[in-house]
Amino acid sequence: MLRFFTRRAAQAVPLLLVVSLLVFVLIHAAPGGPLALYLDNPNVRPQDIERLRRAMGLDRSLAAQYVAWLGAFVRGDWGYSYADGRPVLDRLLERVPATLELVGTSTVAALIIALVVGVLAAARRGFDRVATGVAIAGISLPVFWFGLVLQLAFANALGWLPSSGRSSFGGGDVGDMLAHLVLPAAVLAVAHAAGWSRYLRGSMREALALPFTRTARAGGVSERRIVLRHALRNALLPFVTVVLLDASIMASGAVVTESVFAWPGVGSLFTEALAKRDYTVLMAFLMCASVAVVILNLVADVAVYALDPRTREAA
Amino acid sequence: MTFRIAGRVLFAAMLGALACARSSGRGPSNDLLIVGYDREPDTMNRYATHILEDIQTGVIEGLVTTDEKMNVVPVLASEVPTQANGGVKMRADGGMDVIWKLRPGVKWHDGHSHTSADVKFTVDAINKGDWKPESTDGFDRIESVETPDSLTAVVHYKEVYAPYEMQFVRGTLPKHLLEGRDIDKAADYNRNPLGTGPYHVAEWKTGEYILLEKAKDYWRGPEYPKINRILFRFISNTTTRINQLKAGEVHMVALVPWDKVRELKSTPAIRLNQVLGNGYEHVTLNEKRFPPFADVRVRRALAHAIDRQLIVNTILDSLVTTVNGPIQPLSWAYEPNVAKYDYDPAKAKALLDDAGWKMGATGVRAKDGTPLSFTIITQAGFAIRENVAQAIQKQFKDVGVDAKVKLIDGTSISTVWFSGDFDAMLHWWQSGADPEITLFFAADRTPPAGRNINYLKDDALTKLLYASDRTVDQSARRDLLRRAQMRVADLVPELILYNTSKIDAVPATLRHFTGNPTNAGPFWNVHEWEFPTAGR
Repeated sequence: MLRFFTRRAAQAVPLLLVVSLLVFVLIHAAPGGPLALYLDNPNVRPQDIERLRRAMGLDRSLAAQYVAWLGAFVRGDWGYSYADGRPVLDRLLERVPATLELVGTSTVAALIIALVVGVLAAARRGFDRVATGVAIAGISLPVFWFGLVLQLAFANALGWLPSSGRSSFGGGDVGDMLAHLVLPAAVLAVAHAAGWSRYLRGSMREALALPFTRTARAGGVSERRIVLRHALRNALLPFVTVVLLDASIMASGAVVTESVFAWPGVGSLFTEALAKRDYTVLMAFLMCASVAVVILNLVADVAVYALDPRTREAA
Repeated sequence: MTFRIAGRVLFAAMLGALACARSSGRGPSNDLLIVGYDREPDTMNRYATHILEDIQTGVIEGLVTTDEKMNVVPVLASEVPTQANGGVKMRADGGMDVIWKLRPGVKWHDGHSHTSADVKFTVDAINKGDWKPESTDGFDRIESVETPDSLTAVVHYKEVYAPYEMQFVRGTLPKHLLEGRDIDKAADYNRNPLGTGPYHVAEWKTGEYILLEKAKDYWRGPEYPKINRILFRFISNTTTRINQLKAGEVHMVALVPWDKVRELKSTPAIRLNQVLGNGYEHVTLNEKRFPPFADVRVRRALAHAIDRQLIVNTILDSLVTTVNGPIQPLSWAYEPNVAKYDYDPAKAKALLDDAGWKMGATGVRAKDGTPLSFTIITQAGFAIRENVAQAIQKQFKDVGVDAKVKLIDGTSISTVWFSGDFDAMLHWWQSGADPEITLFFAADRTPPAGRNINYLKDDALTKLLYASDRTVDQSARRDLLRRAQMRVADLVPELILYNTSKIDAVPATLRHFTGNPTNAGPFWNVHEWEFPTAGR
């Protein structure tokens, strides 16, 4: 187990290096830069642009910039934001709690919905028809559109919930925070639950068709017990893998949802940094996201390894 | 079993949330005004920011500002220096001196007096260049600043500089706080600047809001500002921002996009305040990249081919007015009597025929085998522009001109035009109150030296423009700029469409809100804003 773990971790290091190089080249290849927005102001003259370019170190060669960035990054110096001059690490860390709150809540909600719907859909044909329709709709809804529709319905028309933000000004108690959380979390939860429930339904169906369930039925085991104890445990393995892989993407913040709901998490920081070509913030964000993907992939492997005795024998 | 418990917890949480939700919608009052703002500032330092400075305006005051009619009005200066009041003196060596008299009794929020030493420090700090002010425009023409007394700053310019009035529109830097420091790293100042204005920054919650709170001992008197706190909430998504406004979660949105105005008209709590803007939407024609634009007949033909009134009436809901020149009607230098190009497709066709662009079988004109075909770039995600570009494309097609439309994201497009790598571009310029247009049209001001991205080279115009920059006397300068505007209209270096009017959505009961055509922004007189106290 430990050898398996260290081997995978060692593989991740060169992978992350390659990722960092690719990401660095790609974001610098995109047209515009941290100074692009200054060009729109007629009072900012070419001399000013040149002066700022030198001051920001953007006049060096791309290779030199990459080496300088990488050297500092591995030593824990993530540099300063080009946009507001504050340390990148501070800017990221102050956004993490909001993202954890949103992503955590929506993941738990999505898991609950997916488990209930997936199991029922596999077991009850009538329910399956309804669930399929709803799930397809859930998968197809563009997140930004669905988010705006929920705002119109629950904030504007009904007036039940605040349309966006993380808290009301001066009203940051638990109830207020929860009220703000409902809509963005619902959007994310629905999007993920729709996909996950379809996945679980599929693997439940497969498990229910396996010979052991027939044997169990013949042995007089109740249908409820067959579904929940026997089929579900088998079906959970692939499900866990999918959920963890998806979670690795969610860990980097829900970029679209956060900006639609003005949610102050890392996702909206990313959107903002992208528009401003804030290279240092973008690099730190993308590297953190890459590390999260690598780690959660590793967790997924370990989870399957731990849950399924067959993979242990194969290894 | 676990699921059931989790389900109950979630259900209870949602009920709790719903119960609390109603309390969030509070109306605007003299205690609190909530503004839905489209972006978070990078810094509160007015000299370092490159975006509109509405939030900073309440904290840091300029020596002057510009009002809703674009008049320059004194704030921390006791009067605007002019030749007539002896504030501006021409020197025999070709330079000029501007004498700023500061308003007595003005104090920084920490109790220190605001003095001419702060003016001198500001100039020296910017010209020292060891930090990153956004623009050094004008400052680099200053030789030195003298401070004969604590309320007089004499600014010695190396040369005559006509836009001197606006030199300190961004205010001054407090010497006693910033002297000897690296201003880029002075986070205390950049996040919570020491100002003289009606408000100070009470809280900046990153990613969420900035709260301004009434400053103590404001120099205009204890009755100002009338509103105790102003909260700027950052809501970058336009639809979300408008939804929040309609739901009453925010009370005001500055600069409502034109395509959102219609849906706000029926919101009774909201008043839409419209002023002319100091900017104009136009199609830049890049003569260097697409040589057929170098022929003035082609440019005039394209101007005649566009039905501007139709575009304004339909796509823009008549919220803007067509204009014919780069200097806008609110400016003292505006000249209305210039050549105008009315919608006249027959004339457009005749001009193109005359220029040798003959109609081909495909419906596209050509000359010597080259089709009259080019690409108009414009900003993606700006719905109005996307529609206007398509309308122009159709109207060009009617006279045999093939224009393709290419959408480019807002960050990339600045780099594209700066490099001159485009045929034509639909965009606007937003200017400060001074009517200088040299950097847009002088022959030697093509990038990187300026913003003449038409790549127009006209000696007569260039001479007029530089002469106007070196003329301080307003009537003489007006005459030079009048001739420059007529020359621009004759040459049609760009296809000018309409004035970019500015529409702000404010609470219906808010008093003394006027809006502002320039980058001074609608918050320029925020200290006066007030809600009626009785009968609400």
